[in-house]
Amino acid sequence: MKTRQNDVVTAYLHEVDQRLAGIPVLQRRELLADLAAHIAAEQAERNLSSEGEVIEVLERLGSPDVVAAAAHEEAGTRPEPPTASRRSVWPWVALAVGVLLVLVFCSSALFLSRDSGSSVEGPVIAPPPSVQPS
Amino acid sequence: MADSSQLATSLRRGTLEFCVLAMVETEDGYGNEIVRRLGEEPGLAAGEGTIYPLLSRMRRSGWLESKWVESPSGPPRRYYGLTGSGRAALDHFRTEWVSFRQTVDRLVGTGEAG
Repeated sequence: MKTRQNDVVTAYLHEVDQRLAGIPVLQRRELLADLAAHIAAEQAERNLSSEGEVIEVLERLGSPDVVAAAAHEEAGTRPEPPTASRRSVWPWVALAVGVLLVLVFCSSALFLSRDSGSSVEGPVIAPPPSVQPS
Repeated sequence: MADSSQLATSLRRGTLEFCVLAMVETEDGYGNEIVRRLGEEPGLAAGEGTIYPLLSRMRRSGWLESKWVESPSGPPRRYYGLTGSGRAALDHFRTEWVSFRQTVDRLVGTGEAG
């Protein structure tokens, strides 16, 4: 039971932390420590034994969004858009790296085929087409 | 719905911190205690957890001081108390608030009859 309670608490603190990007690191740590101490004190002083009771403590604290919004307001920072938009950068980075790799591969393949001398692959250095009158 | 919560937020801004100062005026209080009492009052806090960033800012601006104290019944507690400038800020707020409230009451028509 104890570990289940701690799982819920760990997940809650993690969700708050994820929303604190942009807040100075010491304030960020202070808030997480204050929230952890709050929860631990409630658990100990009220002798909470079930997961449901711990969830109730978390609900009274407020949703991670609400708590983080208050932290940003006090710190004078802006909450960053959720991780989805931060993640959306990665497909572009991956695409750029991919294109780069393909280019490097193609150009090295080109060099190799040139070096191999007697080329059967005429079209690479195609002779100028001669216009033939019909 | 959105408007009424917006109003509560606006009213809270600028007054909640003085409620906190008044709570620890005569006796230091620890986080859970302060947060629980404010949470019990209707319309004062959006969630108990939103008070901790406020306490942090008030400590950084020198109105509150905090210290961790061992507790007989659980983990260490972080106690908050007024500093000299916190006390001065609270005194100043009390004067300002009375005249501000009287003005609003008079203009909005929420004062005592007469």
